[in-house]
Amino acid sequence: MILAVLFANVEGNILIERVELEHCCRFSGVPAEERLHWRSFLVKLGADNLKGVRNEELLVASHKSVYIVYTVLGDVSIFIVGKDEYDELALAEVIFAITSALKDVCGKPPTERLFLDKYGKICLCLDEIVWKGLLENTDKERVRRLTRLKPPTEF
Amino acid sequence: MAQPLVKKDDDRDDEAEYSPFLGIEKGAVLQEARVFNDPQLDPRRCSQVITKLLYLLNQGDSFTKVEATEVFFSVTKLFQSKDLGLRRMVYLIIKELSPSADEVIIVTSSLMKDMNSKTDMYRANAIRVLCRITDGTLLTQIERYLKQAIVDKNPVVASAALVSGIHLLQTNPEIVKRWSNEVQEAVQSRAALVQFHALALLQQIRQNDRLAVSKLVTSLTRGTVRSPLAQCLLIRYTSQVIRESNTQTGDRPFYDFLESCLRHKAEMVIFEAARAITELSGVTSRELTPAITVLQLFLSSSKPVLRFAAVRTLNKVALTHPMAVTNCNIDMESLISDQNRSIATLAITTLLKTGNESSVDRLMKQITNFMSDIADEFKIVVVEAIRSLCLKFPLKYRSLMNFLSNILREEGGFEYKKAIVDSIVILIRDIPEAKESGLLHLCEFIEDCEFTYLSTQILHFLGIEGPKTTDPSKYIRYIYNRVHLENATVRAASVSTLAKFGAMVDALKPRIFVLLRRCIFDSDDEVRDRATLYLNTLGGDGEVVETDKDVKIFLFGDLDIPLVNLETSLKNYEPSEEPFDIDSVPKEVKSQPLVEKKAPGKKPAGLGAPPAGPPSTVDAYERLLSSIPEFSNFGKLFKSSSPVELTEAETEYAVNVVKHIFDRHVVFQYNCINTIPEQLLENVSVIVDASEAEDFTEVTSKPVRSLPYDTPGQTFVAFEKPDGITAVGKFSNMLRFIVKEVDPSTGEAEEDGVEDEYQLEDLEVVAADYMMKVGVSNFRNAWESMGEDFERVDEYGLGPRESLAEAVSAVINLLGMQPCEGTEAVATNSRSHTCLLSGVFLGNVRVLVRLQFGIEGSRDVAMKLAVRSEDEAVGDAIHEIVSCS
Repeated sequence: MILAVLFANVEGNILIERVELEHCCRFSGVPAEERLHWRSFLVKLGADNLKGVRNEELLVASHKSVYIVYTVLGDVSIFIVGKDEYDELALAEVIFAITSALKDVCGKPPTERLFLDKYGKICLCLDEIVWKGLLENTDKERVRRLTRLKPPTEF
Repeated sequence: MAQPLVKKDDDRDDEAEYSPFLGIEKGAVLQEARVFNDPQLDPRRCSQVITKLLYLLNQGDSFTKVEATEVFFSVTKLFQSKDLGLRRMVYLIIKELSPSADEVIIVTSSLMKDMNSKTDMYRANAIRVLCRITDGTLLTQIERYLKQAIVDKNPVVASAALVSGIHLLQTNPEIVKRWSNEVQEAVQSRAALVQFHALALLQQIRQNDRLAVSKLVTSLTRGTVRSPLAQCLLIRYTSQVIRESNTQTGDRPFYDFLESCLRHKAEMVIFEAARAITELSGVTSRELTPAITVLQLFLSSSKPVLRFAAVRTLNKVALTHPMAVTNCNIDMESLISDQNRSIATLAITTLLKTGNESSVDRLMKQITNFMSDIADEFKIVVVEAIRSLCLKFPLKYRSLMNFLSNILREEGGFEYKKAIVDSIVILIRDIPEAKESGLLHLCEFIEDCEFTYLSTQILHFLGIEGPKTTDPSKYIRYIYNRVHLENATVRAASVSTLAKFGAMVDALKPRIFVLLRRCIFDSDDEVRDRATLYLNTLGGDGEVVETDKDVKIFLFGDLDIPLVNLETSLKNYEPSEEPFDIDSVPKEVKSQPLVEKKAPGKKPAGLGAPPAGPPSTVDAYERLLSSIPEFSNFGKLFKSSSPVELTEAETEYAVNVVKHIFDRHVVFQYNCINTIPEQLLENVSVIVDASEAEDFTEVTSKPVRSLPYDTPGQTFVAFEKPDGITAVGKFSNMLRFIVKEVDPSTGEAEEDGVEDEYQLEDLEVVAADYMMKVGVSNFRNAWESMGEDFERVDEYGLGPRESLAEAVSAVINLLGMQPCEGTEAVATNSRSHTCLLSGVFLGNVRVLVRLQFGIEGSRDVAMKLAVRSEDEAVGDAIHEIVSCS
């Protein structure tokens, strides 16, 4: 299960936080303070490790039996949290799909402003890539077409 | 530190870089949402408003019920627009708003229309939205369309339906299970992702049907799998089939498939296959080698994700097959300096597991540098690994203990300090040579310890171990200092510890009395009370006499009453002339902590989770048994086995049994749980048939009076056996009880019940049950000092075996003894091996065993068994165990 997808800016402010388990609203039903703990854990993880990291270089960590794969793209850092079958390798696949779609939407590694300008589009891409904790689409071409309600080219 | 919760709207005043959401406010956006109701819709404007709503939701703003309903109703109006971009946004916002059940009806018809639309993309999205917001009743209406969608030629539509199926399976399994024919067809799809999603759904539909899963795996391993993701799933299901097939002999089914996946072009698949191989039960070194080789290559990958995955997998392997991982040690050592701390920690803990005695010192040097720049949670993992390393190589206790005491002095949080203190305590208990230095380290620690809990724990421990050392007086200063410098809780604990020294060491008594008398004037009443009490019980009124046995029991004995029972009795006690009588508190343990149920079908979850340590339940068992009058004359409990499951996981009644061995008796403790909420069981007992255990005679049994739902209860059956003989045998068990229906609404049981029985699995008492695993710190010394008076040597042919390692572990298990100095691990490809075992046999007789193995080309294994023990008969008994099996 993919537990959460989180986008933050360079200062660690949350841009998008999508939590994928619906019955248990947000971070798999954990209470608010635990969720905050998670958020600040991720943001701190980014602050500690993402300095000087190249765009799309993947970093990995584990915390309390879940895996976290994270990276930076332009001014935006991206974190994905998963557990069980979504281990570090599967999450790497997911984050790759997300970064490619993000670059596709923004045309380049986004500044924060660009990211916010394309906010709606980015939400749609995420909706196509991860759906309720499962990976649905990986190909950026396909994601782009789907967000415009166009059928994929290959079939 | 950044502030994660600060909203984007209250920073940045730079004109050029301002956020499009600057100053966004919920009320205003809700106002703007009225454009959804315009007769002439402006798709662009509407999309912008939806984006703002999404932004608010993503930032954690929540809408009240009224607000959400209002927005939702307006959004539904947008279905009138034919604009594609807007329609896509509408689908998303409906999902995000997750309307309540009574509102869903408003969009259902629009979505149903889209679901049958000619536009494929409408269909796919409508399916996803409907499945997200639907309930069971609506699902039956749309089931027909969903089944069609699964086999739709457009892969997006098919995937949407399949992924919806995976989610719906949680809430409406009976409906989704009806789709298995369509899903089966989708598994053959040429579209990679459709196959992936179909495979996941099909396996979940059929997960309880072993045969079907096995067939699925067989056909797919021969056919084509189109994406690495699906290939990973297939590997996972394959290992499940292997686990469940339980074939002990011959080639393992599907091993070749797993092995071939190690050469797949996708890294994900290679890792999945390598992990599957390392997790095979009873994996041989021949099977392991190819997997370890590919993992080793990844250790030096430039991608952190791959390094992490590799070291994580090897870390797990090191738990069970340390020797198999030693080849990777050099690569792993270079990972200690990895920038990624998770990788470095995993590398260190793996090295600690696989290293040999000679590499310990070098390793400790590297770790010392590393410890200063990692977080507490990683440090705890390292401390635990060092603890087990020290138990494995007791001769190295000096450098390891020094390391622990050094890190104890450094900064750190409670959990970390607790892990260190726990480790030192365990080392003191298990390695006698380490006791004095360990106690002094602890003493120094409490001089400057900010955690009351740890101080009191250490003081308690000092009270028990300190008086037994050669020079108990040197600890007194540390303890008495606490009386001056600490809070009341710690002061009270120090008083108790002083009293224990006084009771045990007569020479110290007069000085202890002086100290205790000073405590009578403490500002805290608990401290004063304790000081007074101990002065009285120890006879501190001037005379120095030898401490009574009763007093010692009072000071050192465990409180043999369960605290829960004491609490209940105290609550029930009404103040009166009659004092509270502690003897009136029942001693029977009502419920025991549940042993973790084994679930053979499940993969062990969690990363780097430390293996469950041996439970310290022996004391608890002893107390439990001695509180039962029927067993009171059985003498001292020699050994209690770990629980053996007598039922499959997830059956109506879960029963496991613990074998308690006494000199002339064996007691079976059946731990039962009733997992059916609608039932109350009464008079629960186990009927044991001992016809295949001739030496045993049943003497008594003790049923459980009542076993309500989910409350553990214990029933006992006791057998007599001839003294000094390692009687073995097989027992068949039948659970017998009276079952009463329980009304779920009131929770009350019916008056009348029906007698019923439930067959349990058989249970065996084997020779190893009479042996306690007790290690020695230096086998050679122990062997020499035991002398050869009672040495018994003989040679045995063990016949053809799978491997040398397998033969070694079989003999270790047969004898149930503790392997010493890491000799249980056999080097790959070696032709001979020596294994050293130590244990205590029934009657508290120390036994040491030296096993020498040799293997021939034909896989025939020969073994030379040398036993030394304090009792001649025990040496013979060991040989008898080996020769009889």
